Amino acid sequence: MSDSALPRYAFAAPQRPWPGVLLAAAVWAAAGALIRIWPDEADFTRLLSTIVFGIAVALSLLAAAGPYLPERAAKVRFAAPWAIALAVALAAWEVITAKTGYLPRPFFVPPQELLGVFVDDWAKLFECVAHSVLLLASGYALGSTLGFLTGLALGWSKAVGYWGHPILRLIGPLPATAWLPIAFFMFPTSWSAAVFLIALASGLPVAILTWSGVSSVGGAYYDIARTLGGSPRFLVLKVTIPAAMPNVFVGLFMGLSASFAVLVVAEMMGVKAGLGWYLQWAQGWAAYGNMYAALGVMAVMCSSLVTLLFQVRGRLLAWQKGLLRW
Amino acid sequence: MVNPATAETALPAGMALEIDGIRHAFTLEGKPLPVLSDVSFNVEPGEFVALLGPSGCGKSTLLRLLAGLEPPDLGEARADGAAITTPDPSRVVVFQDPTLFPWRTVRANVALGLEAQGLMKTRAHRIDEALERVGLGAFGNVYPHQLSGGMAQRAALARALVNDPRLLILDEPLGKLDSLTRMSMQSEIVDLWRRDGFTTLLVTHDVEEALFMATRVIVFSERPARITADIAIERDYPRHRSDPYFADLKRRVFGLLGMDATW
Repeated sequence: MSDSALPRYAFAAPQRPWPGVLLAAAVWAAAGALIRIWPDEADFTRLLSTIVFGIAVALSLLAAAGPYLPERAAKVRFAAPWAIALAVALAAWEVITAKTGYLPRPFFVPPQELLGVFVDDWAKLFECVAHSVLLLASGYALGSTLGFLTGLALGWSKAVGYWGHPILRLIGPLPATAWLPIAFFMFPTSWSAAVFLIALASGLPVAILTWSGVSSVGGAYYDIARTLGGSPRFLVLKVTIPAAMPNVFVGLFMGLSASFAVLVVAEMMGVKAGLGWYLQWAQGWAAYGNMYAALGVMAVMCSSLVTLLFQVRGRLLAWQKGLLRW
Repeated sequence: MVNPATAETALPAGMALEIDGIRHAFTLEGKPLPVLSDVSFNVEPGEFVALLGPSGCGKSTLLRLLAGLEPPDLGEARADGAAITTPDPSRVVVFQDPTLFPWRTVRANVALGLEAQGLMKTRAHRIDEALERVGLGAFGNVYPHQLSGGMAQRAALARALVNDPRLLILDEPLGKLDSLTRMSMQSEIVDLWRRDGFTTLLVTHDVEEALFMATRVIVFSERPARITADIAIERDYPRHRSDPYFADLKRRVFGLLGMDATW
C-alpha cells in the first residue's frame, strides 16, 4: 500500500463506492424489475418487488457509504457475491413458479406466496416459535444440567462409574424418540413428556462426553493442585471441570442437534403448539406455503441457537483459541 | 523479608528432612518392580541437595514420596520430625513439564496455591511479586501456550514460590530447555534459593548442573536406587563453571555413574 504512508486527511476527494456491492445492487434492481414487469396470477407480487427494490436501494447506499466505514464493519463487502447469488436465485425461483408455472402449484410455491404467509400469519408463527423455544430451552437446560452432573459423577466416583457405566451403555444408543409412546403415557401432560424427551436426547451425549472429558484429565494437573494444598472440592471445581470443558461442549453441541429432532417429533405427535405442530397442521390443510415458511423459520431458529452456543463456547474457552482451529 | 508465620513459630526458612530406610516398588504387569532399596539420608535446613543418578533409577519416585503424593512401601520420610503422609503447600514440586493449566492466564496459574489455601484476600500481592522475581512481570495476562519453554518453566517456578515453600522440590525442571536457557535458569534458581533460604532438592541427571548448583550431591545407583556417594561441594557462590575444582569432581562423579571409560 503505497498511499498508506501519507496522512489520510490530505485527500478530501470522495472515495469510489465499492464496486462489488454496487453490482449486487444492480442485480437486485434487475430482479425487482423482472418481478414487477412480467405479469403473473399470484398475490403479493407488488409487495415482493417493492421489498426487492428496497434491498437494491439499501445495497447502493451501502456501496456509497462503504469506503467511509471502519475496517471491522467494512468486512460486509465480502458478502457481495452471496448477495448477487441470492438475487439470481430469487429471480430464477420467481420465473419457474409464478411467471411460467413450470413447477406446478400447490406443491411448489412462488416467493410472494411465502411472503404472504408471513404477512397474514405472522402472529401465529411468532407464537409457535415462542412455544418451541420455551419447550426446547426447558428440556435442553434440564437435560444438559443433569447430563453434566451425571458425567461428572461417573468420571469422578468409582462407585458411580461402576453402576452407571453399564446402564449408560445400554440406554445411550436408544433413540430418544423410541421413548415417545411411554413418555406420553407416563407423564401427566404432553408438555412435560416433551420436556422429558428433549432432556433425555440432549442429556445423554452431554453425560457421555463430560464423563470422557473428566477421565482424560491428566494426573499431573491433580499432582500440582494437591501439592499446592487443594482440597477435593478444589480439585473438582478448579481442575476437573475446566479441563473437561472442551469435551463438555462437544456433548452440548451433539445434544442440541439431537434436541431439535426430538422437539419436532414431540410437537408433531402430542404437543398442540410449536413449529412442529404448525408443520403438521399446514400439511393437513395442504397449505404448502405455510409449510415452507415454517421450515424457513425453523432453520433460522435452529441455526441461531447453534450460533449462540458457539458464542458461549468462544467466550468460555477463549484460552483454546491458540491451541486449535475451529 | 520476615514471614510473620515463620517468626511466630520460630522455624527456620528451610525444612529439615529425614529419609529413613525407604523402600518402594511399582507393580509392573503383576510383578513388583523395586525402585528404591533402603534409601536413608538427612537434609539440614537450607541445604541445596542434588540427587544424581541414571535416568529411570527412581529419583523422581523419591521426590513424589517426599511431596506426599504417594506413601512409601516401607520406611518413613519426616519433615521437621513429622512423618510425611499427605501433600502440603510448604513442600512444593516443580516438575519437568511446567504443567501450567492451559485455561488459566499466567497470573491465574501463579495464584493457584493461594486460591487453594484460601489466601487470595490477604496475599494476592504476592502473585505479582513472584512473577517479577522470575522475570515474567509483563506476562501475567498471557495464556501458557503463548510462552516459550523457558518462560513456562519460570511461571511454574513462580507458582511454587508464591506459597513461601520451606522445601522446594525440583524434578528435572530444566531437562527440556535449550542449553543457554538452562544455564541462565540454573543461576536464577540458585539466586532465589540463596535469597529465601528454603531447603532445595533437585533431581537431575546432568552432572554439571548438580555440581554447579548444589551444596551437596547424592549419587544413586541404577534401579533399584541406593546411595553410592554423598559429596559435599565446598565452593562459595557465585560459582564459575570453568573452576578446575568442578572438573576434578566431574571426573569422580562420572566414575561413580560408570562412565569413567569415556573420560
